[in-house]
Amino acid sequence: MNRPRLFLRLLFKAAWVRKDRALTALISVAVVATIATAALTIYSDLEGKLSREFRGFGANVIVTKAQGSLAADELNAMSSTLAGKGMVVPVAYAIATAPDGSRVVVGGADLRALRELNSWWSIRPVEGSSGKAWVGSRAASLVTPANGKFKITFGSHSAEIQPELIFLSGSDDDSRIYLDLGEFTALTGVQPNTALVRVEGKPQEIRNAIERLGASLPQAEVKPVRQITQAQISVVGKTRSVVLAASAVVVVLIMLCMVATFTSSVLERRKDFAVMKALGASNKTVNFLFAAEAASLSLVGAAGGYIVGSGIAFWIGKANFDAAILPQPVLLLPVLLGSVMLALIASTAPLRLLQQIQPAGILRGE
Amino acid sequence: MFFRLLFESFRRQKRRKSVALLAIALGMSIATAMIAVGTDVGDKMSQELRSLGGNLVLTPIEDTLDVNIGGVNLKPASEGSFISESDLPKMKGIFWGRNITGFAPFLSAQQTITTKERTVDAELIGTYFTQPLSYGKQDFTTGVRSVNNWWKVDGEWPQDYSTWPQDQAPNVLAGSKMAQQAGLSIGNLIEVHGKKLRISGILNTGGPEDQAIVAPLHIVQQILSEPNAVRRVTVSALTKPEDAFARRDPNKMTPVMRDRWYCSPYANSIAFQIHEVMPNVRVEQVRQVEQNQGKILSRVSGMMLLLTLAALLAAALAVSAAMAATILERRQEVGLMKSLGASNTAVASLFLTEAGFLALAGAAIGFLAGAILARKIGQNIFGSAITVHPAVLAVVIFAALLVTFLGSAGAVRKAMQFDPAVVLRGDA
Repeated sequence: MNRPRLFLRLLFKAAWVRKDRALTALISVAVVATIATAALTIYSDLEGKLSREFRGFGANVIVTKAQGSLAADELNAMSSTLAGKGMVVPVAYAIATAPDGSRVVVGGADLRALRELNSWWSIRPVEGSSGKAWVGSRAASLVTPANGKFKITFGSHSAEIQPELIFLSGSDDDSRIYLDLGEFTALTGVQPNTALVRVEGKPQEIRNAIERLGASLPQAEVKPVRQITQAQISVVGKTRSVVLAASAVVVVLIMLCMVATFTSSVLERRKDFAVMKALGASNKTVNFLFAAEAASLSLVGAAGGYIVGSGIAFWIGKANFDAAILPQPVLLLPVLLGSVMLALIASTAPLRLLQQIQPAGILRGE
Repeated sequence: MFFRLLFESFRRQKRRKSVALLAIALGMSIATAMIAVGTDVGDKMSQELRSLGGNLVLTPIEDTLDVNIGGVNLKPASEGSFISESDLPKMKGIFWGRNITGFAPFLSAQQTITTKERTVDAELIGTYFTQPLSYGKQDFTTGVRSVNNWWKVDGEWPQDYSTWPQDQAPNVLAGSKMAQQAGLSIGNLIEVHGKKLRISGILNTGGPEDQAIVAPLHIVQQILSEPNAVRRVTVSALTKPEDAFARRDPNKMTPVMRDRWYCSPYANSIAFQIHEVMPNVRVEQVRQVEQNQGKILSRVSGMMLLLTLAALLAAALAVSAAMAATILERRQEVGLMKSLGASNTAVASLFLTEAGFLALAGAAIGFLAGAILARKIGQNIFGSAITVHPAVLAVVIFAALLVTFLGSAGAVRKAMQFDPAVVLRGDA
């Protein structure tokens, strides 16, 4: 039998004859690779996934024009700046007079878009109504407690308002009445001078979009709603750090655990080592044999771990964010290399210790 | 004899035992740290989300509509009714008083403001900055500096005067845009309603306050001649994300359910309790904050929970593998014992007792190390320590015993299946 064949045979038999030992080593590597892959995959996609959740907060930028109204090309400029990542809702406000003589703020906007933007509004449709007006809960309780028709006047114009639904927002909007923009303009002659803008994306992308908006609208004032952008930065940032820290702790500790298992299983094979030496194998050959065994075991373990880890990340994304976290092919190489490196260190380090002892001593049981 | 075997096994196989102990301790510190971080991350994030400002808002019940466009209040100061300022500390006395992290009262009105060069119309807003208050034996401070922590001041924050200062004009803040338009800078004097005020800082909020003068509440009450009056209060409370139970009407619940609802820190139940101590006040959720923060919190804590679960499984597998590895190597010992006449039960109980001792020691060490790790993570990321609940120790001990027994039992059984003679000859 030639040397390479003997070597391969030794390698294969070592794993095959002691399947349980090979299996424990394989499992310990696979566990490290799994948890490292899962944690890193989640970490790499976390900013995007969590930022998406901040869409619910509605407008995070308010664009206002002190003089005049927002022209159509300015609104187009906003939409093209966002490039589909967000929405723009122009709104106009005026103060009208309610039937009892009190003043009420009336707003005009694309009501469907406004509803989509302010997803937290709790809405109660008025039964049997054919109207189109959306009335805030406080305005409704003071102006139209029975949710019937009422008249508002603005200057010399007046209009009959029939509520389509009553909304509760927990903000100033509760004191307002919203009409469709066309109807509002017909009543008041006022054009929108404010745009509620929702910019979607990671904190950095939002910052860039705000800068671009400011540059494309020199006549208007572009103001981020700071509490929302700031909360997003702090929550996304802290979550990333906590995931990173926790994963680092877990990966490092599990790695240590794996190294301990590996080292111990090599040390237990001191007899194999001594027999080989006694039969005339050089230190180099023995080292190579042990290293090759560790490398092949860990390669198989790491590959399996990568697949399982990506699966876990995918599942966590589906279960928690309703959107899968896709496997990151970039991670495959680092995970494989890292696992093999670790296994090599864990298996060859104890051999140094053994080399200092005479084979005869080991075989005698010293 | 049994105890001697046990003792000698620990004494003579120090390396082997310490590897097993290390593996268990590492696994259990992962469990401790991850459970602690995973269960506490919700609370910590809830605190972070307080930077969204108040999540409850108080307004007088007998009120007229707000006339508010672009954040500028156009309602005359005399119109509508007020909340009594002296009632506000009562909020700290409700069942969930401890969850109320702060509140800020507001009283505002459009005023003509005279600067050195010109007069401008602007909103004058009165509020607390860091007002010291007390309720019963509790002393606390509250105000916009903690509730609206995104407010930035260039210069100095004014103090919260209790009465009009005798010796000098009281300090106030000028909104950044207002300061720019009216040419105001720090140290300037302005006049409102014949009363002099001194600008001590320029306020930048990114909101409507940028166009206003923001002054201590008691100063504004004196200017408007409305002592003890507050128009609106924003309250920042730590709440539990709303679920279907939280949305139910407490008046239609059975007494037991109502108690459970009352004793859960839902925004609705806190609002209900505030309304109980201040009956003339309407308490509403700021739905934009309250509805969304629940979603974010559940996403973050859900993810940490799943990650914790994955880490626990990984730790369990790693510990089991380590235990199996150390026992598999001892099959010669098993062979020797069996050839000397030991029964399977005797061998198994010796090995499992060893494993039990290792598990207990490993759990104790792992718990301590994990608690320290969790603490460090909390301090470095959130600026406040994550403390580990003592109950986690019980969980960790149980987990350690379970995992080591599972890992050892399989390996012991495997070792016993071989013929002692074959094992001793070294053929297996």
